Amino acid sequence: MVDLRRQYLLLADEDLISLVVGSNAEAFATLYDRHGRAAYSLSYRMMGEKQAAEDLVQDAFLKVWRGAGSYRTERGSVRTWILSIVHNRGIDQLRSLASRRRTQNKVEASAPKSEPSEAFAETWSNSQREQVREALGTLPPEQLKILELAYFSGYTHVEISELLDLPLGTVKGRMRLGLKKIRDYFDSRDVAVPR
Amino acid sequence: MNHERFDEVKDAYVLGALPEQERRELEEYLAAHPERQAEIDELGNVASLLALSPPEQEPSPELRRSIMAVVEAQRPPARTRSWLAGVKELLSVRNLALGAAALLVIGLFSWNMLLQGQVKDLQGQVASLQDSQQSRMVALAGTGAAQRAEAEVILLKDHKAVLMAEDMPRVPENKTYQIWVIEDDVPQPSGLFEADGDTVAAVVEKPLDEDDVIAITIEPNGGSQQPTTDPMLTAKL
Repeated sequence: MVDLRRQYLLLADEDLISLVVGSNAEAFATLYDRHGRAAYSLSYRMMGEKQAAEDLVQDAFLKVWRGAGSYRTERGSVRTWILSIVHNRGIDQLRSLASRRRTQNKVEASAPKSEPSEAFAETWSNSQREQVREALGTLPPEQLKILELAYFSGYTHVEISELLDLPLGTVKGRMRLGLKKIRDYFDSRDVAVPR
Repeated sequence: MNHERFDEVKDAYVLGALPEQERRELEEYLAAHPERQAEIDELGNVASLLALSPPEQEPSPELRRSIMAVVEAQRPPARTRSWLAGVKELLSVRNLALGAAALLVIGLFSWNMLLQGQVKDLQGQVASLQDSQQSRMVALAGTGAAQRAEAEVILLKDHKAVLMAEDMPRVPENKTYQIWVIEDDVPQPSGLFEADGDTVAAVVEKPLDEDDVIAITIEPNGGSQQPTTDPMLTAKL
């Protein structure tokens, strides 16, 4: 069994997914061990507390287990796919439950904005994460705040406009510029956007 | 939704920041303009980088245990195969035992007969299990607005099949999903279904053969004789 586990560790994510399609629990456990931490980090950022974050990760990974056959390599990496499941489910939950968390974010939104350098000060062990950190660090705080409110807190563009007391056109414009600036960061270094 | 409106809200869409109604409108637009899907994919890839930005948090060991407990409880196919292998092994041992018993101990004839009865029972169970194993699943690949959808065709005996789908986008009013079985490049209408919940199941009305292609399109209510829109989901059997 130990040798078998070592073999799984050598397999690429795409190979593990193929095994998960065949109901291979060991392959699934290996995927969880690889990506569970990133999934939980995202989930915790969205849900704001441990129990809700764990429930979301469990929900998302069980969707991976049951829906591994729907993964398509051409749409992105396995990690991106897993994180997108966490994100989509998280958005759904935030929107259906919402008010308590929204109140909390309203306070955060009106508080002085943290500088990107502070927000991303921790040490990154993964080079892709470090690149992403640097890319986000190039964004003006007002663009980063709008991307975060949309992506992590589940606010619609209309809600962000009301929350920050900005015209809707300004919110859309900052979303567009923020995403463009991230892409430009990678283009300017002649590096492909991580998948 | 028109081209200008699409350009205006596509960034909000990939960030998950469109209200439900607008999201549906954009996905309907995408279904009608698949050539714009690449823009969404590229923007979506950039937006997904945000998922890597939160400070790292360590999930508890209990979370792993809890997930794996559910997974272990939900893997009947593997257990069935394992049980089947055990039955086959048992059959082989029993057959040997029967031969030896018959040659060496005539007096145990009645016991031998009892064993043979058990062997027949087990063989019946094996045949029944093998029948149930004849079904197989084929995943459908989604494009455009159906990218998030998960759909599989479960192929049963006698060329019958059932379509299972999850997270299918809602169709516009007066429209319906239609299943097509494409044999030798000729699409044949094979059933209609509505996606008004999380999960849908629909019988594929036309018998399926190897090398057929199955496709799902959006059609006017009541269905069409020929597809009138591009397929949203497809699979080759």
